[in-house]
Amino acid sequence: MSDSIRPAALKALLTAAASLRNPELDAWTSAGGRVIGYYCPFIPEELFLAGGFLPFRMRGTGSTDTDQADAFFDHLNCPFVRHSFDLALRGDYSFLQGLVVGTGCDHLRRIYDNALHAPLEASFVYLLDHPRTMGSEEEGAEPIVRYYREQLSKLKEALENHFGVAVTVPALRAAISLCNETRRLQRRLYDLSVAPAPKVSASERAAVMMAGASMPKERYNALLSEALKELETAPETPGKALARLMIVGPAIEDPAFYEVFEEQGAAIVVDDTCFGARTVQALVDEEAPDPLTALAKYQVVDMPFCPKIGGSHAHRLRFIQEMVARYRVDGVIAQGYVSCDAWGCSYALLREAMQEAGIPYLRVEREYIHSESGQLSTRIQAFLETTGGRG
Amino acid sequence: MLNAFSQLMAQSGKGLFELTVNPQNESTTPVILCNGDFMAEIPVALGCEFSDLTLTGAMGTALPEGADLIDGGIELGVESRMCNAIKSACYYLESGKIRTPEMIITTNACCDSMDTLANLMNAYEPWAHVPRFIMDAPHTLDEESYAYFGRQLREAVTFFEGVLGRKMDWDRLREVCVESNKQSQLLLEFQELKKAVPCPAEPDLARQGTELSRWIKHRVSPEVTRWLEEVVRLTEQRVKEGKGIDGVDEKVRFLWQDLAGSWSTGTVLARLQKELGAVCVMDYVSYATWTPIDLASEEKMFASFAKRFLLEAAMTRQALHSTDLFIGDILRIVKEFRCDAVIMPAHVGHRDTNSRLKLVRDVCRENGIPCLVLGIDIWDKRFISPDVVFDRMSTFFQQTGLIAS
Repeated sequence: MSDSIRPAALKALLTAAASLRNPELDAWTSAGGRVIGYYCPFIPEELFLAGGFLPFRMRGTGSTDTDQADAFFDHLNCPFVRHSFDLALRGDYSFLQGLVVGTGCDHLRRIYDNALHAPLEASFVYLLDHPRTMGSEEEGAEPIVRYYREQLSKLKEALENHFGVAVTVPALRAAISLCNETRRLQRRLYDLSVAPAPKVSASERAAVMMAGASMPKERYNALLSEALKELETAPETPGKALARLMIVGPAIEDPAFYEVFEEQGAAIVVDDTCFGARTVQALVDEEAPDPLTALAKYQVVDMPFCPKIGGSHAHRLRFIQEMVARYRVDGVIAQGYVSCDAWGCSYALLREAMQEAGIPYLRVEREYIHSESGQLSTRIQAFLETTGGRG
Repeated sequence: MLNAFSQLMAQSGKGLFELTVNPQNESTTPVILCNGDFMAEIPVALGCEFSDLTLTGAMGTALPEGADLIDGGIELGVESRMCNAIKSACYYLESGKIRTPEMIITTNACCDSMDTLANLMNAYEPWAHVPRFIMDAPHTLDEESYAYFGRQLREAVTFFEGVLGRKMDWDRLREVCVESNKQSQLLLEFQELKKAVPCPAEPDLARQGTELSRWIKHRVSPEVTRWLEEVVRLTEQRVKEGKGIDGVDEKVRFLWQDLAGSWSTGTVLARLQKELGAVCVMDYVSYATWTPIDLASEEKMFASFAKRFLLEAAMTRQALHSTDLFIGDILRIVKEFRCDAVIMPAHVGHRDTNSRLKLVRDVCRENGIPCLVLGIDIWDKRFISPDVVFDRMSTFFQQTGLIAS
């Protein structure tokens, strides 16, 4: 499907991801709507929705340097953290009334400390502690679900006290239902890549996924639903990719990164990243007696794990292998920002596992801005030779 | 005095390596291997050896083959800028140099690198049969957090009992805790003595003393208690006599707010005190804030363990928690130890510290405390050489007027 005949709804979603501000977000804020920024998919946006906020997933879109953030962070700190914080310092996130940071990694945690002392507009800054284990064999996950439920409850109270809102059980249930609908739609978006010639490119899919955390959820669901109807009924695209690849690693929130692969004839058909497929695999229990417990359980048990969760390697590998089989993947790309220690040894483990499974594997260590795309494209071309053009 | 310390430290270090970096070790004592620190009292009371793979990796970087260990870690395909102590530990593990433990216990404390090492340990194929227990250290500090972590520690005991096939002797655990409390008290006394001007003891003695009681083979033993008593007695004597470190004309007292690492003590810090009279009177591992383990009940005992682990274990205190706590410690140390300057080594692998340097600088400036940020690799002197570090610190002390040009 050429660009000229892309569904209008899809184009609207792509526009929403292309910059921090988008027409839907502007309409929300112009009407007096409040926005909470958050880092890490382990933070349930349902909690913000239930309080009447628009949840906005923090990113570094549009950032060109880190001059201001570098006063706070060392050059060896995560580039994603530095670029997104730099935007905040420059006032590009002035539409946020609050910022919630997770304890996902050492770099992220310090955004909280720095935000408390930096001249940011957001009046509410909060650190949410997320468990980093799957639970023990003896007691299972119940204690960590209980612990995280308590952390969510504290965040809920803090939101209520600071903003004078009420996060009620019916509102939480409605938010869970709304977000589950988003997940169902996004899963259908990924299903489009099962076909030999995916009807959406990975860069488009990534942009659509990001749009989901950048605009009012109801509007997003409506647009995505409309886009999917057109895409699903569109005729099959002729031809096939040189290779079908899976990308694994921390957040990729710049669609241009995918484009480097696509320009070489590869199709990134699925991923295991913070903004991607990992977030659409499971649904939050809508019937659970306590919605906060349901959210806690979803976050620490049901959602596929990332490497920061202790002892999760086997589970993570199983998820990757399932995706490899389902999407008929020819090769795996492990990407990550420099200094991403949370993924540190996982790359070595993944390389070993892929070698054993006979799946070509490429490790890409990258900066935030794709100044190295020429070198990357050379490595991709060499890598595609190893996949044998099995696509 | 110093020779006696060095001798015991050398024996302790050797013991640690014999325990871990020796696959042929045929000791019949069960070994519990952790990716970091753990409450030493528990394995000791259970009659087990305990080893910390991060510490083994870190100490390995001080060996003549240290650089090869680090480079070997990189070749495994791990994140290339990860802490070199962890790369060294990864290499030790993956090259089969570590004795197979009887049990593995891991936590997410106290940094991402140690956390990812835990992932490697837990996925290491040759050890797939080894029973393991994984704990979650919260980033919060309140009674609820201590209870949460304390419950996990209690559960860990049940796990150990299951593997060992014997029950914990609670009287023995109390006995060990009493010994541990004695040692903590002695270390706090030693810390108090180090506040004297001139500083009465070598800069790394406090650190070594701290480590000795927590990390080595014979931890929480009466032998260590006796050693610490001797440290305190001799230091007290020196303070009474107004003696500083032998051969040092103390001019500048500074805080080294990081780990000493594997090379700085014998090179930079030794030169600074000898040539410039600049003495490191405190570092963040030596700084102890321990409260006694509460033995009133089993529940209180485990809550105490949790508090020690989360709040009072040196690096966990500094790395896992908030910048307010970190800065509060800096200000307290500077005041109590009468420091003239703060040196932030800013180890390249310490992401948690390197992302709060501005806040530290700002507070130091507000309080009139000269602060120098170095940006070194405490495990690998190829990154910035000891001579360069010496020159930078020397220039800093001169330009701030702390020593004459």
